[in-house]
Amino acid sequence: MSLKRTLPTSVLSGFALSGAFILTVLQLLLQNVPKDIDRAGDALLSLNANEGVANAVTTVVVYFRGFDTLGEIAVLFIAALGIGLMLGENERCVIKAQSNFMLHTGAKLLFPIITLYGVYVMSYGHLSPGGGFQGGVIIASGVLLLLISHRDFEVPHSFIVWLETFAGVAYVLIGLIGLLTLDIFLGNFLPHDVSQMGLLLSGGIIPIIYIIVGIKVGSEMSAIVQSLIKRGDNV
Amino acid sequence: MIGFTILLTFIGIIIMAFASITQKKLADSIVLFMGVGLGSVVLFFIFNAPDVALTEAVIGAGISSLIFLMALKHLKAKA
Repeated sequence: MSLKRTLPTSVLSGFALSGAFILTVLQLLLQNVPKDIDRAGDALLSLNANEGVANAVTTVVVYFRGFDTLGEIAVLFIAALGIGLMLGENERCVIKAQSNFMLHTGAKLLFPIITLYGVYVMSYGHLSPGGGFQGGVIIASGVLLLLISHRDFEVPHSFIVWLETFAGVAYVLIGLIGLLTLDIFLGNFLPHDVSQMGLLLSGGIIPIIYIIVGIKVGSEMSAIVQSLIKRGDNV
Repeated sequence: MIGFTILLTFIGIIIMAFASITQKKLADSIVLFMGVGLGSVVLFFIFNAPDVALTEAVIGAGISSLIFLMALKHLKAKA
């Protein structure tokens, strides 16, 4: 089966024309490459020391690109909202198969450890690899473990709503305080001295924002997982 | 030695990605997809990006595959 038989000639010529257009634009772009484009990362990394945060990635994600992180959280919120709207009205499915004794006890034993690890990743995000997004998803995976092993377990909906609202409002409020005091949205208004670098309480607002991000991501992912489990057919 | 590991991981990722789109059973596809995520974790860690490696391990290989498996169970596909 040749390509010519399945696709009309107008589509093929359209592909060819757009390919030629893209190649022309790429040619124009490659002829005028800015000089310092390969050293943009070095400039950001040299600015990192001003904030007193040991993990440079956290500085970039939370401080230099803090507004983008706010947008990412809004995207996650919209995804959770869509899943909740589509699946929220279904009743909780009745799992007929009783879960194994080993699974039951093991899940109970593992859940505190998983939650503790998630909180550690969240609150040490400015010192070691990790941060709010990862820690939140780790906590949500612990909730998922409890959801599939315990028949009656359910995170109260009002609790999720409260946590999510608190985290979103706190993020915007911190940004507005920075705007009022330093004339920068999400400005670092708490003390952030370079000599404190590496301590748990360092970096001003950056660890606080990452913990807020972790609370929001954890509650949203838990809500998503719970509404997927609650699909109304009996398994 | 590290170059050999990187090369082996690359080849493994490509083979698993190709196998996951050609599998007949959807459950096998999802497991192979988890394998692709795991290989990426190794590569990210070798290339000095532990933050991205942690994210990929938690989201790519962990919770998204579980969500796929839950969706597959609800689809009642013949897997």
